[in-house]
Amino acid sequence: MSSNDTVVSVNNMSQRVQTLEGPLQILSDISFSIAAGESVAIVGASGSGKSTLLGLLAGLDTCTEGEVVLHGKRLQDLDEDQRAKLRAERVGFVFQSFHLLPSLTALENVMMPLEIAGIENAEKTAEKWLKQVGLEERLTHTPRQLSGGEQQRVAIARAFATSPAILFADEPTGNLDRSTGAKIIDLLFSLNEQQGTTLVLVTHDEVLAQRCDRRLTLVEGKLQPEGQ
Amino acid sequence: MRLLKLALKSLRREWRSTDIRVLLAALIIGVGSVSTTGFLSDRMERALTAKGGEFLGADVVISSPREIEQGTLSAPNMQHSTALEFSSMLATDAGFQLASIRAVDQAFPLRGTVRIAQAMTELGTVQNAMPALGEIYVDPQLLPLLSVEVGDTVELGVAQFKIAGLVKDEPGRAGAVFGISPRVFMRLDEVSRTEILQPGSRVRWLHFFAGTPDQVGEFVEQNKPKLDDTMRMQGGRDGSEAVSGAFQRTERFGKLASLVSLLLAALAVTLAANRYAYRHFDQAALMRCFGMRRHSLRVYYGLQITAIGLLGSGLGVLLGYTAHALLLKLFLPDLSERLPSVHWLPILVAMASGLLALVGAALPSLLRLSHVPPLRVLRRDLSPLTASAWLIRVFSILSFVLLCYSYAGSARMVGSFIVGLLVLVVVIGGIALLTLRVGRWLKGLAPGAWRFGIAQLWRHRMAASIQLGAFALALTLMGIVALVRTDLIDSWRQQLPPDAPNQFLVNISEQQVPQIEQFMQQRDLSITEIYPMVRGRLVGKNGKLFDEILGDEEPRDNSLRRELNLSYGQSLPDNNQITAGQWHGETEQAELSIESGLAERLDVKVGDQLMFTIADREVTATVSSIREVKWDSMQPNFFIIFSAPALKEFPANYIAAFRSPDGDVQTVASFVKQFPTVTVISVDRIIAEVEQLIAQVVLAVELLLGFLLLAGVAVLAAALLASLDERRHEAVVLRTLGASQVFLRRSLLAEFVILGVFAGLLAAIGTEAVSQLISQQLFDLAAKLHPWLWLVSPLFGAVIVTLSGLWMTRKVAKVAPAVALRETA
Repeated sequence: MSSNDTVVSVNNMSQRVQTLEGPLQILSDISFSIAAGESVAIVGASGSGKSTLLGLLAGLDTCTEGEVVLHGKRLQDLDEDQRAKLRAERVGFVFQSFHLLPSLTALENVMMPLEIAGIENAEKTAEKWLKQVGLEERLTHTPRQLSGGEQQRVAIARAFATSPAILFADEPTGNLDRSTGAKIIDLLFSLNEQQGTTLVLVTHDEVLAQRCDRRLTLVEGKLQPEGQ
Repeated sequence: MRLLKLALKSLRREWRSTDIRVLLAALIIGVGSVSTTGFLSDRMERALTAKGGEFLGADVVISSPREIEQGTLSAPNMQHSTALEFSSMLATDAGFQLASIRAVDQAFPLRGTVRIAQAMTELGTVQNAMPALGEIYVDPQLLPLLSVEVGDTVELGVAQFKIAGLVKDEPGRAGAVFGISPRVFMRLDEVSRTEILQPGSRVRWLHFFAGTPDQVGEFVEQNKPKLDDTMRMQGGRDGSEAVSGAFQRTERFGKLASLVSLLLAALAVTLAANRYAYRHFDQAALMRCFGMRRHSLRVYYGLQITAIGLLGSGLGVLLGYTAHALLLKLFLPDLSERLPSVHWLPILVAMASGLLALVGAALPSLLRLSHVPPLRVLRRDLSPLTASAWLIRVFSILSFVLLCYSYAGSARMVGSFIVGLLVLVVVIGGIALLTLRVGRWLKGLAPGAWRFGIAQLWRHRMAASIQLGAFALALTLMGIVALVRTDLIDSWRQQLPPDAPNQFLVNISEQQVPQIEQFMQQRDLSITEIYPMVRGRLVGKNGKLFDEILGDEEPRDNSLRRELNLSYGQSLPDNNQITAGQWHGETEQAELSIESGLAERLDVKVGDQLMFTIADREVTATVSSIREVKWDSMQPNFFIIFSAPALKEFPANYIAAFRSPDGDVQTVASFVKQFPTVTVISVDRIIAEVEQLIAQVVLAVELLLGFLLLAGVAVLAAALLASLDERRHEAVVLRTLGASQVFLRRSLLAEFVILGVFAGLLAAIGTEAVSQLISQQLFDLAAKLHPWLWLVSPLFGAVIVTLSGLWMTRKVAKVAPAVALRETA
């Protein structure tokens, strides 16, 4: 794999936080890289540091040791606003709890990142993506009026709407029943394939993890050698 | 620009959310109430000035010993009238009588009314004061003194005039109750014909002006500097001492009401804005996550808040305008006709207070919003309030205090208010926690759902204390206004007891004193003491003339420029209070007692010697006491009262006041018949007018309590809003665990009733405390407790809190657990 193809590269990264009981080591000495177009599942038990790792990869936080390089940029070297710019241009998110804004309609929720990025025709694009996820009849519905599966579809439409190079998903099926979860996974992977997006997801779901090209297993903050 | 578009667009999308609606409603109600009070007090204030004008006969009067030449004063487009006033003798074959002549032109009076009658018993008709050529109008008292009737001819100077009517009423009759000689109206253009006025004659030129309030303001501003110190400018406010005291109190009350509504509004806005910010933490995190920069986020929310502020304040001003116009039309229709147009100042003050309250309340939270870490989308922790946010909060509190000051106009008023409120907040906070603890002890006695409600209060004791405090504060503020209003009306009534004199008797001769006393006794009428009155000028102090003491430059106090009514006697008049020295009583020395205000203005102390000129003789007496005088007591009052030996040798007129139970009809008629030379001045009508005016104004201000109530409910709603999410979540958990809807509703009911009752009790304590302070500091009223308050306040609190509480939480008990669990996940 050439370095040009590398979207994410993590080198000797550790993350420590201060708690009332003293310093807590969440992640220790982690190194790996992810190539463009690859789909990677981060798996592990509760509290193993999966979500922390995802946050660090997406530039929502910075690591205390080592480095994270996203799209050729060392995240530690960027300030929060520069990281924000990078996220706006290259990154999409899907969350376990959907994170839709309750006062906005489905359409408005999808339009939001487009408008933040200053993309023209936000409404048209948002409509197109809601159609793609099968919600063309639900454009004016607020999250309250949507089922869990529908809410996650809106979130997926929102994530893909800005055409990100890399998509981070935090337990995308965590709040959904099995059959809805399966449909969401299908949708996520088909869109991912269509768009050629790199997909990094955190999951407990074995079925979901198996559909990824690769899996990174965390045990108590340490990365297990791949294939184990 | 893109950010502005985005902010407005998303604000429009968020219109559905409760907190924006509550925030906007609070802002509209707050600004609405501020501007209603603002519009009302501003217009009323200017109207009261106009009302005062009726006592002067104009909006502004400039008096001068010389005629002010045309063109000296700039008064574009104002009504103008000139009069000349002087004293002269009216003569008939039967004798002479000194009269106060006012020679007027066609335009007099510009304000107020003159009534002319054809017979003593008639009320007279409102008409112009200028008689036809060769005629005069005279005070009815002159007829018996001169043994003439209407239609007879009298001499004035070298000219003869026919008495064409009797002056029954004229502007300024109230203010000039004491010691004026009977009035005669004649034509200004006939003065020269009398040949009375020679160079050096003592005359007073009166220049009357009237116009719109703006014109009057401009006129005063432009012309005041042009006056020399022989000239005197009087505005409507100076119309009458007795009335202006009452006006001032009413005005203060109006301003107090504004201040209270302003505070309530700010409280509601603060609560709603905090919730707005709190709810946007997630949104902020998400937007940061999607790549919005911190600075852009700050601008984004700043723009949204500004938009809400402008819209809310704008709508509030509109509401205020409508409400005040409606109030005027409904309750003061006769006043509203004459009210000056709306001024821009209350609009500005209301907009500014709305924006300032919003910014002060929301800015710290906005700063917090921009510090929300994007990682919050994965972990729901939150950055704390930064130091700069506290600085901004202090800054906004300071600006708010300044705003209050600019609104109330008196540092003392704002000061006592803020001190009262601070004490209130500390006391209420402490008592609230204590109250909840007491409630917890009592919980064992309560039935199931109630026990749960009490337990809920204790579980959320911090939140409950804040709510209790907020409710109590709202109720306290309403209570204060209600109490102060009651005290205000009472104070006016107390000042005018049912047996307040309504007839003044002037020009009583010494021989008539025992006869009048007998007349009153026979009819069982209450009469004040009959005071001797000698006219004289105050000319010097401690052997030096005031002219020397003050020099040429310093302006003379009015009391040095005219003759004073001096009295003497052994007993201190009722309503007078010695503040320094000792009342002279039966002393054989030449001593005097001086009114405290005059003593202060002339820098006179106990022990000083004052010099007077009385009937061309010099009289010196030692100041042995300083008195406080209640000028609005409707009793004969004097600046200076001598010991009897000092003035006894001078011929005196006597003055007294009595109460005629049937107004001025029969008793007064028989009095006039028996004592034709005594001047009777009826003040009943004046008192009634003042009372009616005050009642009207108080009624209008009282209606502002409706606004206060709305603002109070907005505070309640905003406070509840803060806990709504948590309540919903708890209700869902409880329902999941098997609690019925009825149980949940009852426990909510229990919570609100208890909150309301305790808030009401706290408010009763707070109201009593603060109103004592206000009554004493602002209205000079004695402290007293209000037992009814301790019953009404908790009851009112319970009803209001329960109704608004149940309405706000109406969906809490109903929500289906499955739906809610999914939403709150």
